[in-house]
Amino acid sequence: MKRAVGYWLLTVIIVFVLYVGVSVLFFNHAGPAILGMPPMLFWFTVVPVVTPLILGGLYLIDRRVNPQWDEEGYDVRG
Amino acid sequence: MSEASVVLLVALVAVAIITVGGILIGQKESQNLEGWLVNNRRMGPIFVWFLLGTEIYTAFTFQGLAGYAFAKGSSAFYNVALNDVAYAIGFFILPALWLIGKKFGHVTQSDFLAGRYRSRNLGVFVALASAIIMIAYIDLNIEGLGAIIQVIGHNVFNQTISDLIGFLVLALAVILGGIRGNAWQSMIKDILMFVAVIAIFIVVPLHYFGSFGHMYQAMLTKIPKYMVIPGASKNQGPLWLITTVAVTGMGQWMWPQWFGIAYTAKSPRTLKLQAVFMPLYQLVKVMMVTVGLAAVIIFAVAKVKGNDVIMLLALKTFPEWFLIIFTIAAVFAAIVPAGPIIMTSASLIAKNVYGGIKKDAKEKTVYRLTKWLVFPLTLLAFGLAAAAPALIVVVLLIAYDFIAQLFPAVVLGGLFWRRATKQGAVAGIIVGWIVSGALLLTKHDPLFGINAGLIALACNVVVFFGVSLITPAISRDYLDNFFSSAFPKSGRSTKTAGTLNTESPKA
Repeated sequence: MKRAVGYWLLTVIIVFVLYVGVSVLFFNHAGPAILGMPPMLFWFTVVPVVTPLILGGLYLIDRRVNPQWDEEGYDVRG
Repeated sequence: MSEASVVLLVALVAVAIITVGGILIGQKESQNLEGWLVNNRRMGPIFVWFLLGTEIYTAFTFQGLAGYAFAKGSSAFYNVALNDVAYAIGFFILPALWLIGKKFGHVTQSDFLAGRYRSRNLGVFVALASAIIMIAYIDLNIEGLGAIIQVIGHNVFNQTISDLIGFLVLALAVILGGIRGNAWQSMIKDILMFVAVIAIFIVVPLHYFGSFGHMYQAMLTKIPKYMVIPGASKNQGPLWLITTVAVTGMGQWMWPQWFGIAYTAKSPRTLKLQAVFMPLYQLVKVMMVTVGLAAVIIFAVAKVKGNDVIMLLALKTFPEWFLIIFTIAAVFAAIVPAGPIIMTSASLIAKNVYGGIKKDAKEKTVYRLTKWLVFPLTLLAFGLAAAAPALIVVVLLIAYDFIAQLFPAVVLGGLFWRRATKQGAVAGIIVGWIVSGALLLTKHDPLFGINAGLIALACNVVVFFGVSLITPAISRDYLDNFFSSAFPKSGRSTKTAGTLNTESPKA
């Protein structure tokens, strides 16, 4: 269970840092444009697309290490 | 009949038809409290995806967020970040809450807290306080609804009448349809809203700037201070962004209605899949922020209220037939999300406050009371909106500062720190609320660049841990049983190994 919680916390930190750490450090300026877009707007367009990939990775890891999946009713599909 | 009246009339008739559809679909599933509130925990990933989307994509997103970008510039991006951080947090906590809720029959956040801390009084306290905070959230949607009808209708109806019409529809839909009916409405709303958002996102650059490239270039050259933080907002710098995303990200799951929606899921797997795919919804918010930033250039020196920006742009840009679709989407964005909020607020008072005080209350009585409370609560929110109008963004941020104070009790102590006690939880929450209130009332938000809610949360956590450590702990046996489904002791690999061992002798 500790591994599942550890991976989860790590993911929360990664998503948080991507949004508020990286944006503030590298994209908080009015130019030059990135792919024609204002830097901040560019970054906040990229991260919502990247986040499902990160959480999808967590999902796959979680299936392997989280014992909750063995609980009754946990894996009902539909 | 004027053009504005036709647009409004057609839009409102369409809203009524969709609402009746939701009522008819929801009636079969709404025969008892569990069915009405959490649809007997039978909703699959698609319905839950729409239901969670509905909770997030409210009048705030449709109108408030563009208005916020219009007024404050890039600070509005805090709202894109907050939900994704919250989904990452929810990936673990929602399934854990579901498992515990399934085992003990919880349907509200208050049930969970009362069970975790073995305190019915704590459940009553949190239920009542949450129900009050949630009324502020309903206000937000009423404000949005009023703005839509006023702008599109060229003041055919005044603000009060506009609010009244929307909430009469909402109250009837919630009373008769329950959560299932609301999910159908939200599905239609989300489809219409996607169409409306994408339309305005594409048409605005092409119509006013010639292309996306020209629009972005105009943003960089004409309004550079809107492209950075603090920029146009003046006092919302990097530290504000970091602390606001932290406090609101933690606060999102503390809204009691999220608990209700999490319990509607068929299985925890559904909730994990939601956490994976929900961030895609954030692109809608990015589009609305972009439109809000573009509006700064479009309206230039014209005096425009932030909340009216989107509807004024639609009025100025779209042909009449599309304005009808746009208006339907906007009206639903205001009234549909308020449904689960009102239902949860009513159930908190009926089940957890009334049921907590009157211990022998029958389930049928509680269910009936819950349904009857919908109307007075709606009216109360309507009354508050009429008394304190035009506070969409401010209302949301203030409400988050208060609701986030439940995080230590619900998540830190509620799921992870077993030494936490009810005294610690109550003391922490009260201190958090007092600090939040003091900082907000004295206009110290942000304080030294830090969101006031996070400062209050820090005080809350210190008191929560301190008081818990000096008050009697809850018995270990009780907590072992309470957490057994959410924190099972055997690992996945252990189970596999066990299976292999069993089979070995046969081989």
